[in-house]
Amino acid sequence: MTFNDRIFGVLMLVLAVAYGWGASQFPEPFGGAESIGPETFPYLLAVVLGLSSLYMMVRPDPDNAWPWSRTGLELVVAVVVLLLYAGLLQPLGFIVSTALAVGTLCWRMGAAPLKAYATGLVSGVVVFLLFSFALDLSLPLGVLSFLEVS
Amino acid sequence: METLGFLIDGFGVALAPHNLMFALMGAFLGTLIGALPGLGPANGVAILIPLAFTLGLAPETALIMLTAVYAGAMYGGRISSILLNIPGDEPAMMTCLDGYPMAQQGKASEALAISAVASFIGSLVATIGLILLAPLLADFALTFGPAEYFALFLLAFATLGGITGKNPMKTVVAAAIGLMISTVGIDSTGVQRYTFGTMELYEGIDFIIAIVGLFAISELLFFIEEKAGGGKEKMAVNKLSLTWRDIRNILPSSFRGGVLGFIAGVLPGAGASLGSFIGYTLEKKVVGNKGYFGKGDPRGVAGPEAGNNGASSGALVPMLTLGVPGSGTTAVLLALLISLNITPGPLMFTQNADIVWGVIAALLIGNFLLLVLNIPLVGIFVKLLSVPPMYLLPIVTMIAFVGIYSISNTVFDLYFMVAFGVAGYIFRKLEIPLVPIILGLLLGPEMEKNLRHAMDISDGDWTILWNSGLAIGLWVFAGLGLILPYIVGPILRRRMRVATGAGSSGSD
Repeated sequence: MTFNDRIFGVLMLVLAVAYGWGASQFPEPFGGAESIGPETFPYLLAVVLGLSSLYMMVRPDPDNAWPWSRTGLELVVAVVVLLLYAGLLQPLGFIVSTALAVGTLCWRMGAAPLKAYATGLVSGVVVFLLFSFALDLSLPLGVLSFLEVS
Repeated sequence: METLGFLIDGFGVALAPHNLMFALMGAFLGTLIGALPGLGPANGVAILIPLAFTLGLAPETALIMLTAVYAGAMYGGRISSILLNIPGDEPAMMTCLDGYPMAQQGKASEALAISAVASFIGSLVATIGLILLAPLLADFALTFGPAEYFALFLLAFATLGGITGKNPMKTVVAAAIGLMISTVGIDSTGVQRYTFGTMELYEGIDFIIAIVGLFAISELLFFIEEKAGGGKEKMAVNKLSLTWRDIRNILPSSFRGGVLGFIAGVLPGAGASLGSFIGYTLEKKVVGNKGYFGKGDPRGVAGPEAGNNGASSGALVPMLTLGVPGSGTTAVLLALLISLNITPGPLMFTQNADIVWGVIAALLIGNFLLLVLNIPLVGIFVKLLSVPPMYLLPIVTMIAFVGIYSISNTVFDLYFMVAFGVAGYIFRKLEIPLVPIILGLLLGPEMEKNLRHAMDISDGDWTILWNSGLAIGLWVFAGLGLILPYIVGPILRRRMRVATGAGSSGSD
């Protein structure tokens, strides 16, 4: 099967065309046009990417299998965990969000739940203390802000 | 003799107590990174860059620490090759051939010690080569004009896949993607490009976020897919009984491997894998029938290991003198230089002489430190091998989050990093190499700047790009770099496979 490379080639061709079109929409720089404007280099790149993506469509490599079903779901879960981690870092604070995120990841990768979340909590506390006291860098405390020592 | 003076100054920088301390820390961390499963050298150095910033280190200290990490990771990579028959990275593949049989015969600690000595000699030879060659190359590079630089960057991209690379067209796709990402932001004429009115994009995309995302986050996703969550079985390490004779026996192999590796590292497109492969093949040829290669010959450990480390020091030559890295890890070191506001290239040797020579001296000192660290502490590193990735990788991911968050304290960057991680996973599935993307991100602004300068000089005449003999030569080599893999690549790859295949069947 050679679908992957062909589909990716089509996507990259679309990107190349969109990127090139985007470059043609740049306003003329202040002080008038020069021999090389802001759009010249992007034009070159659009041509290079366009040609190489055409090559990928014509001469694709054999596919690597995508992990559908369960493993695929695990991957989606992992990405969601990472996004939630990023989003909750400030509201929940570093220690709580780390305990949850690292714990969930460890658990989903095969650790026993209790051990997983314990790992998350311990690593969160250790890194927090290390950053706050040794490196003098403030990480958000979030819901634990009542612990703040000033 | 000018070089010697600079080098002595360099030692003055590198031997300052705090620099020495950070070099030691870097060497230790680096070996750890190399030894731990699922943490390649490029990945490890990338995660440590933001941390080096948050520590508020001086440029030379940060660079010394991360160079030590780089050297250490090369040492650490061999541990899993020898004990588990799992190469930490591609260049370590050849070390498996004789290292693992040695471990099976109950000579694991001898194999580890021999490889440490060989790594040391390989790095030492290559660092001396670096000291001799780098100033010459830097002087030569001063004659480069913008057109030559533009061609040189093309050469760097074209040869990045290496002669053994699979599909050079995918390198081109990757490079184009990287360069495109680098054009996001406000350009030098003040025009906004591809910012879509988003404030966060005005300054462009921070390449450190991209690097950490592409390497660290995609590694996590890969591990989840392979379900490689559990730890590897523990390998017993015997008590070391190494005599001077054993070390004397491997010395010639190590020197040969180091020299070959250095050459492979300096040349564009060869890389460390080829360095260790040639190192091993040459050893087999030189020793001939007297050896028992593939069945645990110490010389078969020493040759490729010295070659591997020689190549990694050799790869620093083009990075420092031309600002053009030849491997993933040197690309990450280049990222560090750029973010420290140091422009790599020939001028660095005159403008930032203290930093360059400090780093070179640190490389020498780092190697001594690593040798001293490695022989007694090997037990600790071996224990770390059995840390299961299911605990390790989430923690590494968390450290990546902390590092990126600490750069600007914005959550936007974290989302960006995750997006890069998912993209990196997809790219790796499609066998699109990640290093050209990163190189594109790093070199994009310089490349465009040189193109503009060249065009300003010629008043819009494109032929200036191939108007000098030097530029034509660079173009030709760039072309060869893309075409040769189609011709030579399959043959070389087959040979490497035959060599490794024969080795593993011999160990059964």
